[in-house]
Amino acid sequence: MSLFRYANSIYGGGDTLIGANYQLLPWFALAGVAFAIAHAIFKAVVVAEKPR
Amino acid sequence: MTPGSTSADRIERHKFVDRAYHWLMAASVLILLVTAFLPILGIKFEWVGIHWVTGLVLTLIVLFHIIRATVWQSFWSMMIDGTDLKAPFAKPGKYNLAQKLYHLAISVLILSTIATGLLMWRKVDTPFWQRDPYWLSTDSWGVVYAIHGLAAMALVTMVIIHVYFALRPDEWHLTRSMLRGWMTRKEYADHHDPRRWPAKDEV
Repeated sequence: MSLFRYANSIYGGGDTLIGANYQLLPWFALAGVAFAIAHAIFKAVVVAEKPR
Repeated sequence: MTPGSTSADRIERHKFVDRAYHWLMAASVLILLVTAFLPILGIKFEWVGIHWVTGLVLTLIVLFHIIRATVWQSFWSMMIDGTDLKAPFAKPGKYNLAQKLYHLAISVLILSTIATGLLMWRKVDTPFWQRDPYWLSTDSWGVVYAIHGLAAMALVTMVIIHVYFALRPDEWHLTRSMLRGWMTRKEYADHHDPRRWPAKDEV
């Protein structure tokens, strides 16, 4: 999936960049959630392994 | 007596003006993200006016923060220094390496959205001017929109990570300090190196 959106130029000469690809929005949100889950698991494992 | 119950047991971490800045910025960013992305997700409403006015508020408070941090605050307390790199897990000063990296990333993203947003403002009718969609070339507008959109989507990731850390029980003393301004002497001693952050008692 491309990072950008393109459109046909009305003047010809190929595609023109028109902005970011907003279909990626769920993936950006998922990246934040994935980071949080991974960090929470890491911290839980580190705390569990610490000698008391 | 519980820790922090008296002002003698409290260390000032954030002044009221800095906490007000933080929460105003948080509210602005959330309003900007909601007004930007709800219409894209199919929830249609008159979002442009709310978006540019909130963007202007964000611009002004970020400008205030940059001036305040440079002139009146310890500007270098947020900069990554040699000690952070040599001993990244040692007791930090006021901010640890992860917080400094987060601040750096959020600064780049916010400043990118502000710079591109100010350019895009020219394409909106305001009380100050009438829109001029031909101000830049189509290719240039493409680059402006691409930077604005990518930075805004990256801000969604960063906000989720920020809220996650704010809600973690082991980071609660930092969240409380952003709400009430102080941390206890024990929290200060446990989490900070007083040589790198010689904190003041709560006033």
